[in-house]
Amino acid sequence: MEFKEVRELLEALCSADGTSGQENCAADTAEKLLAEFMPVSRDALGSVMGRKGEGKGIILDAHIDQIGLVVTGINENGFIKVAKVGGADIRVLTAAQVTIHGKKDIFGVITSVPPHLADEKDEGKALPFDKITIDAGMSKAELAEIVTPGDRITFNGPFDSLMGSRIVSPCVDDRAGVAAILRCLQLLKDKNTCPIEVMFSCQEETGGSGAAAGSFSTLSDEAIATDVSFASAPGVSKEKYRSLGDGALIGFAPSLDYEMSRKLTAIAKERGIKAAPEIMGGSTGTNCDDIQIARGGIKTALISIPIRNMHTAVEVADLSDIEETAKLMAAYIEERSKEYA
Amino acid sequence: MLEMIKELCSLPGISGREEKVREYIISKIDGYCEYKVDNLGNIIAFKKGTDPASKKVMIDAHMDEVGMIVTGIDSDGFIKFEQVGSVDSRVIIGRNVLVGDKGIPGVLGIKPIHLIKKDEEGNIPKNDDLYIDIGAANKEEAEKAVSLGDYIVFESDFVEFGSGFIKSKAIDDRAGCAVLIDIIRSDIPYDCLFSFTVQEEIGTRGAAAAAFDIDPDYAIVVESTTAADINDAKGEDRVCVCGEGCAVSFMDRGTVYSRDLYTRALDAAKELGIKAQYKTRVAGGNNARSIHKSRGGVKTLTLSIPTRYIHSPCCVCKYEDIESVKALVCAMAERLAK
Repeated sequence: MEFKEVRELLEALCSADGTSGQENCAADTAEKLLAEFMPVSRDALGSVMGRKGEGKGIILDAHIDQIGLVVTGINENGFIKVAKVGGADIRVLTAAQVTIHGKKDIFGVITSVPPHLADEKDEGKALPFDKITIDAGMSKAELAEIVTPGDRITFNGPFDSLMGSRIVSPCVDDRAGVAAILRCLQLLKDKNTCPIEVMFSCQEETGGSGAAAGSFSTLSDEAIATDVSFASAPGVSKEKYRSLGDGALIGFAPSLDYEMSRKLTAIAKERGIKAAPEIMGGSTGTNCDDIQIARGGIKTALISIPIRNMHTAVEVADLSDIEETAKLMAAYIEERSKEYA
Repeated sequence: MLEMIKELCSLPGISGREEKVREYIISKIDGYCEYKVDNLGNIIAFKKGTDPASKKVMIDAHMDEVGMIVTGIDSDGFIKFEQVGSVDSRVIIGRNVLVGDKGIPGVLGIKPIHLIKKDEEGNIPKNDDLYIDIGAANKEEAEKAVSLGDYIVFESDFVEFGSGFIKSKAIDDRAGCAVLIDIIRSDIPYDCLFSFTVQEEIGTRGAAAAAFDIDPDYAIVVESTTAADINDAKGEDRVCVCGEGCAVSFMDRGTVYSRDLYTRALDAAKELGIKAQYKTRVAGGNNARSIHKSRGGVKTLTLSIPTRYIHSPCCVCKYEDIESVKALVCAMAERLAK
């Protein structure tokens, strides 16, 4: 099977839920996988922190949380009212299948209007968010035994293999990044490297608190964050965005460390790692923005994995891009280790 | 019957491609009745009762489901399609589908929310802009897996949840098919005819031929109909209500029902203690549209399973309602055939 290691890591990570602020399940899975390489701990906000070696080295970051919904109440007829956790896309909510993480996990369907009853004037418009409710097939009283305001809701969806090395799953953003870091550590397993600090940060989707707090506790002066980015697709310009299969996308942005970006580019070229530049005009909208200004400042680079349909239950990625991202991070650490020695 | 509904719902069978559903039904009724498959693909079955019937009663359920059909493959390998039956794009974008006999997994993609302009937020892409992504690298690769005309069904498994609810694609009308199969496999008091029809979702076409062929005195259409008992809906706005039994129609967009049969069905339910309710909104339509005006006219009755979110990947109904529908279908078949 192609990209067996990455596939196994990603499938394990995607099968564990973890909306922002309630990352426990995904964080447990990631922590267990990370513990094979280094001692691990959990910080006050819930980020998974790992450290290999003493002193300064390189920080690797990916966020462990995913978008979802949160229970705000139950109406008289037993339908669950919700708010967004992160940027859930209103256009894909109706008829979605979900899991409500109450006292136990229960199944639910987001309500929708059948065409027989639809109002013509609403055609082409997503149902407004205040009309979004979840049908769990229970009465208010039955639900109250299981579900409490604050309980998180995740989108269900299979981890399916598409053609070639492409896969689809609901939380590729950013389990793909977590998988890339774990794969990078596999590649470096028997090698002598500089110290490596790993953060699987919580709460990226709700504003980056996890990365801000997490990087305060690190020691190193440089960091590479890996997150997902937009892949070209119908409506997403091929000229502006890279395609699935283009490899590791090396970020160039005013807020990113220019030397690191250039070094990553040079290493990719030298080692024959598939990569392409991704240019942004300001800050990056990723954990990099918080890591960069943590403590007295940390030099930060971003490597992105292109995906389609971001923030839906059908995020599509190419395993080859995750593998290339892992290879590029590993190569960078190998090269920099010579200078830390 | 639950196991049978589960198996029936999992089969792909959009209008015009009901063959897998037909094979399954035949495997279940073979040996319990006489049957034939007509020119359109309808199954017409004759089941002998304990006694001959004085009136010919036809009981109908449709085999097809709504879905999509492949109409093109673009230069980047994305699949273009058209809806088969009435499917609102709002319930399919962002969903998983299976394409063709090989069941190639695909997804209905959408431009990420991050790249949408403020004033376009909440706008659903136009039908012509929808596409299915099977992960093909290009057109040539996609053509190896998918052909024009391939059918597309929702990837949505069967789930039992909540207090006695089930969720699946195609409950409309595989649950009705299961009711008919269950009756055929049991002993019935009077001779009866059954039709498992094709192409209901594209204009009740199969039933037109089946009704002509059977030439019944009475017809009972067993369906899955819209339950809008969701959110804050009250009273008759709910159309019908999950858990309140068999929905009986007096009028919909296709048929003005026989007042006589409507009244007799409600009376029978009351008399026999079968849970039943009115369908309280003139909406939708079903095979009764074709059957009631067949030949010189047929007195027709529709008995339905209240189903939430029909024509979406996630139809939801209550299992006990299917039992109520079956009980009332049996009671009415007996009373009408006598």
